[in-house]
Amino acid sequence: MHRVIRLKRYEQPPQGYHEGFLREFHHRQRAELLKPSLSALLRERFSSLMSDFRVPAMAYAGAASVAVIAGVVILRQAPPTETPRAYSVSYSQAPVTIQKMQPVSLRGDASATTLPPNATFPPSYLLQARPASYESSLSF
Amino acid sequence: MTAELEIPPHNDQELVARTQKGDPTAFDELVVRYSPRLYGLVYHMTSNHEDTNDLLQDVFAKAYRSICNFRGKSSFYTWMHSIAVNMTINFLKKRNRRQHPSMNDPDSRIENDPDFIAATSNGDPTREVTVHELQKKLNAAMQKLSHEHRVVVTMFDIQGMPHAEISKILGVSEGTVRSRLFYAHRQLQISLHEFKRN
Repeated sequence: MHRVIRLKRYEQPPQGYHEGFLREFHHRQRAELLKPSLSALLRERFSSLMSDFRVPAMAYAGAASVAVIAGVVILRQAPPTETPRAYSVSYSQAPVTIQKMQPVSLRGDASATTLPPNATFPPSYLLQARPASYESSLSF
Repeated sequence: MTAELEIPPHNDQELVARTQKGDPTAFDELVVRYSPRLYGLVYHMTSNHEDTNDLLQDVFAKAYRSICNFRGKSSFYTWMHSIAVNMTINFLKKRNRRQHPSMNDPDSRIENDPDFIAATSNGDPTREVTVHELQKKLNAAMQKLSHEHRVVVTMFDIQGMPHAEISKILGVSEGTVRSRLFYAHRQLQISLHEFKRN
């Protein structure tokens, strides 16, 4: 089988084919250089489309009026400002509790100020920062 | 009397390096060197001269465009053959059933080949087959093979490449090459049973 298949090697291209192959290769390379790329083709098509497109006489005035109307609508719908109340609501949603808080007496008589262990204290918070809006614009 | 200076043929590596530096004549030399061999590879896969010519032009154009990326991890020979095989298989997948074989004429030396004499007459003068008949049958049998089987038969049986080289070109193991050859030969034996020696 191998020997029969090997007979296919006698099938040769037409006389002089390989001599002309390089010439054809050069010819095709040059033709490829002249062929415009896809991006250039798209650019050209777009520019020709634009040149054919005629702007109606009142198009600019219409576009300007649409822009003015859109601007007015946007300015009227200013975003609502957040109030301090809104902040307090959002903070109170996740309260912080301090477990086993023991008050410390600064006086000598500790028994007078020490509370029973089962006494409970309502949570108290101290905000360290002031709202930014209270800051003076010229304070450095 | 002056001794004629013989210019030694450049090796592939040197020609590739010159091409990468921008010398197009070096690539021309590679085209001249590789086109006959790659022609055979593509032709025996497509069985069509026009398709082979177009494909081979595309193969060299692709190789020229990507030669700057060739780092020499494999030999240029392997690299070129890999491009040719991949492009041919892709082409055959697209061509699918649209086949118009245009066979090249066999070299006249075929008639003196002992294998041809043995295959065509086989000692029986009534069973004589013409060159073209044999060629037609061989091509038909090759076209029945899958692309993967046809490529190994082309490289091993027709072009005489060793298994190791085929495995490098196809990017498969030598075992896979041998296995594909085994199945391809079995299928060819069924198609060409009339040429089987007694």
